[in-house]
Amino acid sequence: MEIFIQSLISGILIGGVYALIGIGLTIIFGVMRVINFAHGDLLMLGMYATFYLFTAGKIDPFVSILITIPMMFLVGALLQKYLINRILGALPQNQILLTIGLGLVMSNSIMLAFTSDYKILTTTYSSSSFNVFGISVSTPLAISFSITAAITIALYWFLLRTDTGQAIRATAQDREAAQLMGINVKRMSIIAFGLGAALAGTAGALISPTYYIFPQVGSTFTLKAFVITVLGGMGSIVGATLGGVLIGVAESVGGVYLGSGWKEVIVFVLFLLVLLFKPSGLFGKSSA
Amino acid sequence: MAILEIRHVSKFFGGLAANSDVSFDVPEGRIMGLIGPNGAGKTTLFNCMTGYYPPSRGEVIFDGRRMNGLKPDRVCKLGMARTWQKVRPLTNLPVLDNVMVGALCRTSSIRRARAMAHEQLRVVRLDHKASLLAGALPIGERKRLEVARVLATQPKLLLFDEVMGGLNPAESEEIIQLILEIRRTGVTQVVIEHDMKSIMRLSDRIVVLSSGEKLAEGSPREIVENPEVIEAYLGAEQ
Amino acid sequence: MTTEAISKPFPARSVLATLAPKVAIVLLIAALFAVPRFVESTYALHMMILIFINIIVGSSWNILGGYTGQYSVGHSAYFGVGAYTVMMLLQFRQIAPWWGIWAGSLAALMVAVIIGSICFRLRGPYFVLASIAVAEIFRVTALNLKNVTNGAEGILVTEIPPLVIGGRVITDWFSKVPFYYVGLVFALLIVGVTWSVKKSKLGYYFQAIREDQDAAHSLGINLTFYKNVALGISAVFTALAGGLYGTYVGFIDPSTVLPLDLSVQIVMICIIGGIGTISGPVIGALVLVPLSEVLRSNMLTEWLIKAGVVNAESPIGLFMKEHLSQAHMLIYGVLVVIVILYMPRGILGFVSRFTTRRAGA
Repeated sequence: MEIFIQSLISGILIGGVYALIGIGLTIIFGVMRVINFAHGDLLMLGMYATFYLFTAGKIDPFVSILITIPMMFLVGALLQKYLINRILGALPQNQILLTIGLGLVMSNSIMLAFTSDYKILTTTYSSSSFNVFGISVSTPLAISFSITAAITIALYWFLLRTDTGQAIRATAQDREAAQLMGINVKRMSIIAFGLGAALAGTAGALISPTYYIFPQVGSTFTLKAFVITVLGGMGSIVGATLGGVLIGVAESVGGVYLGSGWKEVIVFVLFLLVLLFKPSGLFGKSSA
Repeated sequence: MAILEIRHVSKFFGGLAANSDVSFDVPEGRIMGLIGPNGAGKTTLFNCMTGYYPPSRGEVIFDGRRMNGLKPDRVCKLGMARTWQKVRPLTNLPVLDNVMVGALCRTSSIRRARAMAHEQLRVVRLDHKASLLAGALPIGERKRLEVARVLATQPKLLLFDEVMGGLNPAESEEIIQLILEIRRTGVTQVVIEHDMKSIMRLSDRIVVLSSGEKLAEGSPREIVENPEVIEAYLGAEQ
Repeated sequence: MTTEAISKPFPARSVLATLAPKVAIVLLIAALFAVPRFVESTYALHMMILIFINIIVGSSWNILGGYTGQYSVGHSAYFGVGAYTVMMLLQFRQIAPWWGIWAGSLAALMVAVIIGSICFRLRGPYFVLASIAVAEIFRVTALNLKNVTNGAEGILVTEIPPLVIGGRVITDWFSKVPFYYVGLVFALLIVGVTWSVKKSKLGYYFQAIREDQDAAHSLGINLTFYKNVALGISAVFTALAGGLYGTYVGFIDPSTVLPLDLSVQIVMICIIGGIGTISGPVIGALVLVPLSEVLRSNMLTEWLIKAGVVNAESPIGLFMKEHLSQAHMLIYGVLVVIVILYMPRGILGFVSRFTTRRAGA
């Protein structure tokens, strides 16, 4: 029983970070209806940025996100403005291929620049843990979770209370109507992609103390991000939040009872089941 | 003899009743007009009839056979075919190929399908454009193409969903002549249309829908003189 | 074309015009069969074999993706099933690959029908995602079922039994030549199948599904059935290519025959050449294989240095010498981006835009 609770807790903690990835992807899809296959690679960029800020700049990973967030936002915004924007009207298949291509460019550029050696970011507290009611909780995971929670709350506030945030939600709900209301949908798309990239990069920064860092790490996260958003409902932020936690738990608990080799399969099987029986997900609206 | 019987058909989308307890019969070989304001549930009814989705309640009986739950391809094979409110050409295929797809419903021979397609294209007077891509046609010709394509499936019952929408008077007149021509071949037709003059000229009987319910049914004269219809529909007509 | 033209007697010139391309094709095929007699370079044969394999997988995908409009980005699943079936039967049961390949095709067909009936109710991007998920399930399963597939270690085949027909040894598979012929025959087969499908009822129905699924449905086309037929044909030939690849290279593992990269490359072959055309995948293969090779073998760097564009000792030169060979996936990615942005209809589409403009259409 203890093992179960242990894996449950770890699952929830990592699930928080997964939620960030999912939220980023769902915002992008919600506003632009683009399926961003480079999302995991954006996360990977965040990881590398954090790594070098730590090794060269001696900045603690949880502090350096203050730099990573705006940097990744800029990367995302530029990508959207100059590349993604041009295929907004194209077939979804072509959009996916374009983002796949972008992902390949990102991961392979990093590989050329920094080699494909596995890098490890070890902080003083990387392997420490503390005890809560007899359950051992990993310190870095706990810190990530708290930061994730804070960011998520800030994000909800931004989307619900600010003008820009509400404009984004309007665009996500009905692009044409939003345009008629005077909202600059092009600008919203740029902001949305920037946000999505920033969230992915942040997720990368947050998990960098606990994961191996290498150029191809993005692809597993991309697929996971899709499972999360489809599970939660494409375009639903609440759905992505819950989906992230659910996937985190399913992976953690499944990994304990089925062995770590199979835990990826669990996620994909879940994915297929959702696609088959409730493709609009837990909270989703009907899609194109 | 009714070739199509709509019996107490209702269709719900979530809480919204797009069709509510609609019943009428379509006599064989005749032209039935189906009119009503936007949102009255006309296209929804067509979709229920052709298997795009099943009715929530009630039955669709075609040629004595219960159609509920049958898929659109089955429906077409059984002899009920429809055109679309927003025309749907197979854009990147030539005009001839578009119609051949319809003809292939009845034959597996490419040669025969090609001959049948040419024939239907001659009927709608588009045969001279047979090798053009469907996407290159202007809207009026796209509508005629869709008629040719659907005729190639050799239907017993043809459903026209605002086939004259977006056409100028000359083009509309062509379609009207086509419909009358088709009637001469014995094919039954149900025509959804907003242009009252055309409906009056074409229809043997008219059914009026409003807000999902059947408001009235009768001959064109009866409908035009029906005060409820005038209030609900003709008054709101542009 | 129109009915009028048919009733006139054929002028002699147009008979020649219709015959000429057919004669050219026959000559080309004969030439391809004659190549190993005159070309001794094993490197050239190797390139041709790779090109054939690419043509096979590209054309197979094209039937499902190009003609029927169902973009599977998980075709590595069928390649892998074909490769693993042939290799496992060969290595663990000593069953010759020319029997194993039947089993591989059958296995791929069964997998395809199962996947099809599950995934075809999904549309557009959701279908793409499902196809990716399925292929990933296969890859991870192959990794984990160590007792069956050797997991990450892969399967190494050291000996292929000699092909004996009527008491005569046709080949012992030591040289590349027999693989060349098998590749050529399979490639011709898939191109022929594509051509005959395109002219048949299947071809019309597939394209109708691609153009407008709902309209096709309302015209009497059973969507699930025809999509599955397209997938079945596609899967069988992809599996054949996988089997050929496995026996030719002699080694397979989950990361070479089942990864997402492979699925993307398969799609790229068609996109670059021209989707939904018979010669598109051929052109795509002819472009991608040499390009890949030029990058992989550092040829490009050597040429640039020889041409004096890049100084061998400069930092750029050194960097290129050391790293460009690994950059081929990067170039691939750039290529994908450029093609999608500027040539979504592939090389053929690009070229045809110029030719139609010239004709004044």
